[in-house]
Amino acid sequence: MTMANRRKTITTAVMFFAIALLLIELYPIIITLLNGFRRDIVILSGQKFELNQLTLDSYMLVFKNRQMMKAMGNSVIVGLLSTALSVGVGAMAAYGISRFKFRGRNALAYSFLVFRMLPQMSLVVALYMMFKAVGLRDTIFGITLAHSSFNVPYVIWMLIPFFTAVDKSYEEAAMVDGCTRWTLFKLVFLPLVAPGLVVAAVFAFINSWNEFLYALILTGVKARTAPVAISSLIGGDTLTWGQMCAASTVMLTPVFVFTLAMQRFLIRGVAAGGVKG
Amino acid sequence: MTFSRRPATSQTGRVALRRSGGQGSPVPFLVPALLIVFAVLIFPIVFSFVVSLFDWPLSAGGGQRRFVGAGNYKDLVMDKEFWNSLRLQLGFIFIAIPLELVLGLAAALLLNREFQGGRVVRALILLPVFFLPVVSGMTWRFMLQPRYGALNNFLLSLGAPEITWLGHPTFAYAAIIVQDIWRMWPFVFMLLYAGLAGIPSDVLEAAEIDGATFWKRLFLVILPLMYPTILTALLLRIIDALRIFSEVYVMTEGGPGMSTTLFSLYTHRQAFGYMKVGMASAMAMFLLTISVIFAVTLVRKNMSLEKLEDQGGNR
Repeated sequence: MTMANRRKTITTAVMFFAIALLLIELYPIIITLLNGFRRDIVILSGQKFELNQLTLDSYMLVFKNRQMMKAMGNSVIVGLLSTALSVGVGAMAAYGISRFKFRGRNALAYSFLVFRMLPQMSLVVALYMMFKAVGLRDTIFGITLAHSSFNVPYVIWMLIPFFTAVDKSYEEAAMVDGCTRWTLFKLVFLPLVAPGLVVAAVFAFINSWNEFLYALILTGVKARTAPVAISSLIGGDTLTWGQMCAASTVMLTPVFVFTLAMQRFLIRGVAAGGVKG
Repeated sequence: MTFSRRPATSQTGRVALRRSGGQGSPVPFLVPALLIVFAVLIFPIVFSFVVSLFDWPLSAGGGQRRFVGAGNYKDLVMDKEFWNSLRLQLGFIFIAIPLELVLGLAAALLLNREFQGGRVVRALILLPVFFLPVVSGMTWRFMLQPRYGALNNFLLSLGAPEITWLGHPTFAYAAIIVQDIWRMWPFVFMLLYAGLAGIPSDVLEAAEIDGATFWKRLFLVILPLMYPTILTALLLRIIDALRIFSEVYVMTEGGPGMSTTLFSLYTHRQAFGYMKVGMASAMAMFLLTISVIFAVTLVRKNMSLEKLEDQGGNR
């Protein structure tokens, strides 16, 4: 067999292997998407999948479910608020770390990254007691603040490289014009790092959107977010798999869209501290 | 994007920069972040430590709180279930992560070539990583159900008996591990694939032309060159696996019995099941210490500020 032929055979084999791999990886996702379009009763009866089972019933039930809709609304609000807070505060801190020289600069940057990697379980008991004491439990503000505990360090770490990349001459030129540090940050740096802000914002939002443990412990009926509401669709005698899958699909859609749209930033996005649960 | 366009630099500019206190003060820019970090990270950690020194019932109805010093820590050491959760946690890490690394590396090596649809495959294979952890746990729970779950349907069609997977201690433990492998090996793949793409292709080709076998090339060329990436992936996965909670919580709630009560699940049970916040805080301090050790190792080894600054926002 010639070298070229051999290459071709290998490539074909790889292609088949890749497709097999893909099917295994996508199977659970596909059944989640499909079961959202089937009725609970059809799913529970264990019938084989057929096209004529497809219906929007489960979606209608989800959209009519007041608590679920409220939880999804809360997820959007908490996601947006915690993203805005973390990107605002994080951009300032990333600028402070990357464009100034001061003692303890390294230690500060490192501690932000270490903070990002702390398990939520090691904080949530204390947060629960603190929030209860000051009346923040089960409030949108409380859960937003809790989500900032991982999003602020995360955004800082994402943005430092973007701030470092800005050429020094920008600062020098701006200083001649008598800019203060604040106007320099606002009018020169923020526009230059805008792509970084977008990436950091998207990932911060996803972190908050996917978060479960804080929402489980720190919220009740009022500020509960969608992941907790979805998990409550299954348990004990309630086995509403169809609704669970429909609601999950609604939650998954923005995440998958962002994921596929932001391919080139994915590695930096997840390497800054794993994926939140 | 690169920032190659430079505005005119002048001596006066540099002078002006120096005159504004050389650098000016970073403090105003750092204060808001530090306030948040203090409120939701530093204070809770310190508070946790204080609580861990008390016999502290969660609600007022649980009795008086009482200072016990290292009492909670001593109780933990004597607690069979604590050791059980630690053992399950370590087992989880030692089984799941090596398999994720092997799978990720194998897939990275195989897919590191141009073929039709390669980009699409590489993009889609990452979707499980971004599957909501809660939904992943629920979906696996669904697939493992008797009567209507996919796995049992498959087994039945082969004539095998039906198994209540999540009702059996060993199978349930295996299931949460498989769930994690399914969800997270593509994450390892993504990191290793990028690392592999970073190796100059002439290095690999030279080894191939020299007639080195695949295994020789793997162990003598590829793995040594990828060592930093593999280490990063390993540490990230360990840090992530140490805090696993939501997937397992919705899949098994730690059961049957205590067979899938990993460390975080047992902490949760101590605090909100047994209402013993002092014990839970002692466990939290333990988990925190281990996580910090791994996180500091990772940060020092592979995420230095200089390295991060070198990336220059170009990726």
